[in-house]
Amino acid sequence: MKARFLVAAIIAAILAVAATTASGGTKKGQADKIVVWLQDDAKNGWPEAVAAATNAFQAKHPGAEVDVQYQQWTTHLTKLDAAIAGNNAPDVVEMGNTETTKYMAAGAFAPVQAKSFPNSKKWLSGLKDSCTFGGKLLCVPYYTGARAVIYRTDYYRAAGIKGTPKTLEQFIADGKKLMKKYGSDRNFSAFYFPGKNWYASMGFVYDYGGQIAVRKGGKWKGTLNSPQAIRALTKLKSVVGALSRAPLTVDEAHPYPSIPFGKGSVASFVGNGWEWPYTLDSKVGNPDLAPVMAAYPMPSHIKGRYMPTFLGGSDLAVPITSSKKSLAVDWIAAFTNSANMRAVAKAGNIPNATSLVGFTKGNPKVEPFAKAAKYSWFIPKSPNWANVESANVLQDMCSQILSGSKSVKAATTSASNAITRILNAG
Amino acid sequence: MTVAESEVSLASRRRRRWSRHRVLGAVAPYALLAPAAVVLGAVLFYPLYLIARLSVEKYGLFELIRHQGKWIGLDNYTQIIHDGQFWRVLVRTIVFTAVNVSLTMVLGTAIALLLVKVSGVVRYMLTGALVFVWATPVVVAVDVWRWIVDPQFGILNWALTKLHAGDFFHHDWFVNPWSGFAVITALVVWGAIPFVTITVFAGLSQVPTELIEAAQIDGARSWNVFREVTLPLLKPIFVILASLSIIWDFQVFNQIWIMLDQRPSADYYLMSVYSFVESFRLSEYGLGSAIAVVMVLIMFAVTFVYIRQMVKAGEVR
Amino acid sequence: MSSRQLSKVGWNALGLAVFVVMIFPVYWMVSTAFKTGPNIFSYSPKWLPIPATLANFGDAIHRQYFWQNVRNSLIVVCVVVTLSLALAFLAALALAKFRFYGRKAFIVITIAVLMVPLNALIIPLYITLSRVHEVNKLSGVIITYMTFVLPFAIWTLRGFILGVPRELEEAAMVDGTTRFGAFVRILLPLVAPGLVATSIFAFIQAWNEYIIAYVLLSSPEKQTLTVWLASFTTNRGTAWGPLMAGATLTAVPVVVFFLLVQRRIAFGLTAGAVRG
Repeated sequence: MKARFLVAAIIAAILAVAATTASGGTKKGQADKIVVWLQDDAKNGWPEAVAAATNAFQAKHPGAEVDVQYQQWTTHLTKLDAAIAGNNAPDVVEMGNTETTKYMAAGAFAPVQAKSFPNSKKWLSGLKDSCTFGGKLLCVPYYTGARAVIYRTDYYRAAGIKGTPKTLEQFIADGKKLMKKYGSDRNFSAFYFPGKNWYASMGFVYDYGGQIAVRKGGKWKGTLNSPQAIRALTKLKSVVGALSRAPLTVDEAHPYPSIPFGKGSVASFVGNGWEWPYTLDSKVGNPDLAPVMAAYPMPSHIKGRYMPTFLGGSDLAVPITSSKKSLAVDWIAAFTNSANMRAVAKAGNIPNATSLVGFTKGNPKVEPFAKAAKYSWFIPKSPNWANVESANVLQDMCSQILSGSKSVKAATTSASNAITRILNAG
Repeated sequence: MTVAESEVSLASRRRRRWSRHRVLGAVAPYALLAPAAVVLGAVLFYPLYLIARLSVEKYGLFELIRHQGKWIGLDNYTQIIHDGQFWRVLVRTIVFTAVNVSLTMVLGTAIALLLVKVSGVVRYMLTGALVFVWATPVVVAVDVWRWIVDPQFGILNWALTKLHAGDFFHHDWFVNPWSGFAVITALVVWGAIPFVTITVFAGLSQVPTELIEAAQIDGARSWNVFREVTLPLLKPIFVILASLSIIWDFQVFNQIWIMLDQRPSADYYLMSVYSFVESFRLSEYGLGSAIAVVMVLIMFAVTFVYIRQMVKAGEVR
Repeated sequence: MSSRQLSKVGWNALGLAVFVVMIFPVYWMVSTAFKTGPNIFSYSPKWLPIPATLANFGDAIHRQYFWQNVRNSLIVVCVVVTLSLALAFLAALALAKFRFYGRKAFIVITIAVLMVPLNALIIPLYITLSRVHEVNKLSGVIITYMTFVLPFAIWTLRGFILGVPRELEEAAMVDGTTRFGAFVRILLPLVAPGLVATSIFAFIQAWNEYIIAYVLLSSPEKQTLTVWLASFTTNRGTAWGPLMAGATLTAVPVVVFFLLVQRRIAFGLTAGAVRG
């Protein structure tokens, strides 16, 4: 009897498998369909823009379908590789602007014409750069975000700081006032700076005229041990030593500075625009801080300028394997028009064109970051850059310098050598 | 022994009496094996062939897009063998695996024996806890451990400071690889114990109480009972658990990756992390496949003794 | 107290100590699920989630596609567990009870399959499944999971079958029955504990697997719970409270499944079968 039960169970299972197979394979007629891969940010931040884009697209191409699938940053490249290998690549894919170079160099994206897209004449040069390779335009700027100093107005006021610092020296002096007033709490930082926060550290390097690497005669050379860079990192070390009690071996995402900030033990930190609402999210942070939070661009050591900020962002590309390239281009054009860029800006980002920066004005949560974007730096445009990040060269260097386990000269020299080696490999 | 003699006579009696079933008997194993073999073969045959083929090709992103690899012979393999880091990582992984498997097997079995000894309520609670640990998705479990040892918000630092074991304010457990690996070993063993314990406990429950009682009546003490009666019956299960644990612990990835915030330093590379960072993350699938082949060969060599035992087990009918 | 009772108390105390050590991280996860935002990260830990809130659970459940993903995970798991157990039991029988040509090869191959690192298999698997149009389908995921579960299941069941003392088997067959059905009928209850342990393993493997499900399933209404869980971490930080709530919800069915089947591995069960 048990044997019969076993057989019945097997048959039932096979039928279930067959059912799931059948339910998945509906074939529609000859309707055109494009598959769009966007990241979760669009789903959570500006879903109305996605819907508007699809509507506009369908108005232009009646009967066409758009299948928007949301991906996850940590593993989306593996999925993209698999999809390309299996001939299932999407027609539009969102890429991080630090991810594009490798794919452009491999010829993964189809060339596009700037004139097909709205506002293309005024595209942010940083984003446009991440879409250009070998003289061709291979993707479309989408949006970007900058970092600025997020701070607590009540702490500043209580420590006697008027307004916000306009130079780095003033910033340090203000920070010391904060440490004097609140520093008896072991957890307190006037300027919370996790040791592996290389984005902010490199801001110092570029502010003093240094660079991560330069390309001469077809070869890359790591230049973090140049005199300017060493000056910058020495300055960084003194700033962090005086003003920060953050652990020196963690990076800017573990935990996000919003979290100790929400606990009241941080007066200021350098963060992305979205880290502000993250602090106020009741599920993670402290909504009571809303009235005492504000932001300003990190001041440069040169009066009248800001410290260059890293412009992280996203681009939209059309994989070369797509069979519906012109449809894909039309959808991207519909998605990146001014109206949708306004929705993206409203969510705390910087839209893809300088002419649209006006969208960020008047919104105190976005304006400081848009202002900070005026001075920016970007990673060396080498297809091998991803390997430098994989090898943690910059994170380890920053952590070594700030903790004192290596001298600035020694740490920058070994980092530069590693960068030279990795960028020139292959 | 009497059992063997009776085995032989029973078998020969069976042969004489049921000779017309010999044909059926010859076909039966293949029929029984077929469904599983078909599923495994249908799904894995081509991927395994692909891995072998990719391992002798250059297959980066460029080649992936064109679906065309470039034959480079054994260059991938020579690149691996000449990489000093590969050998360091290999030794580290072997030591890590040995430590983790030993701890898991010993502690897992000990807890299984403990389960036998405790009263019903405690047994229920303990097995419930084990299953809950087993059921928690690995990534989430590692996330929780990551918090527990977090320099700022971790309760481990807080507890140790409170217990006056020293000042653990902002103590980062991963600055020193030895302490870091101690934490990771604790995490891996913690996660691996439920599977071993529950399987061993299931095996223990198969041991007929009469055999145990008979041995106890003969005056044997419980340790000897365990050694003479229980252990031999559990041997096939132990061999399997040990080899599976070796294979899994050799491939540990998430525990390193997530504990170190997805940016482990080279001191923390284990084989699968090394393989991910050096190949798959860079879309170098040819190199990655070669590393996979090498890993399989190494794991095979390491578990060879166990596999031989498994093949031999049950050979005496 | 008699020495027997004393030793029982001692064992129980030890058992409870082990319980506390094992369950602590899980307790931390569950209690975090009930905590309010500011209490989740704290410089001094809050042992109890007071004030407790159900907001995290609400957030988790109301995320889009939650119920579809639950259904998908359940389908995948039920089919994988049933089919794998059935196929594995048959194969384990063959490997344990018979001598035949190719036995050794099969044994070695099934264990070698487990040694192939998953990272290396992802793209080749995707290519293979895409050729037979099994991408973005639950059946493709089911078949893939079965290949991960089968070797282990065959192994464990073979071990349990081999572990059945000959006396039990012979005694049960003394009445002359050698038909296949009876053969199975006798052996099945004797290896019930092994079946239970294997089914729990298969359940957990299929329930908690992430990367294959993420790569193979593109449409959100087809995805499984683990992919859903991973969506709590975006480029804008992790929603810790809801993530822990989601993870707790994800772990619950496994525990329920275990509680349903755990009676079969109660100690001393098979003794009754022999005496009868």
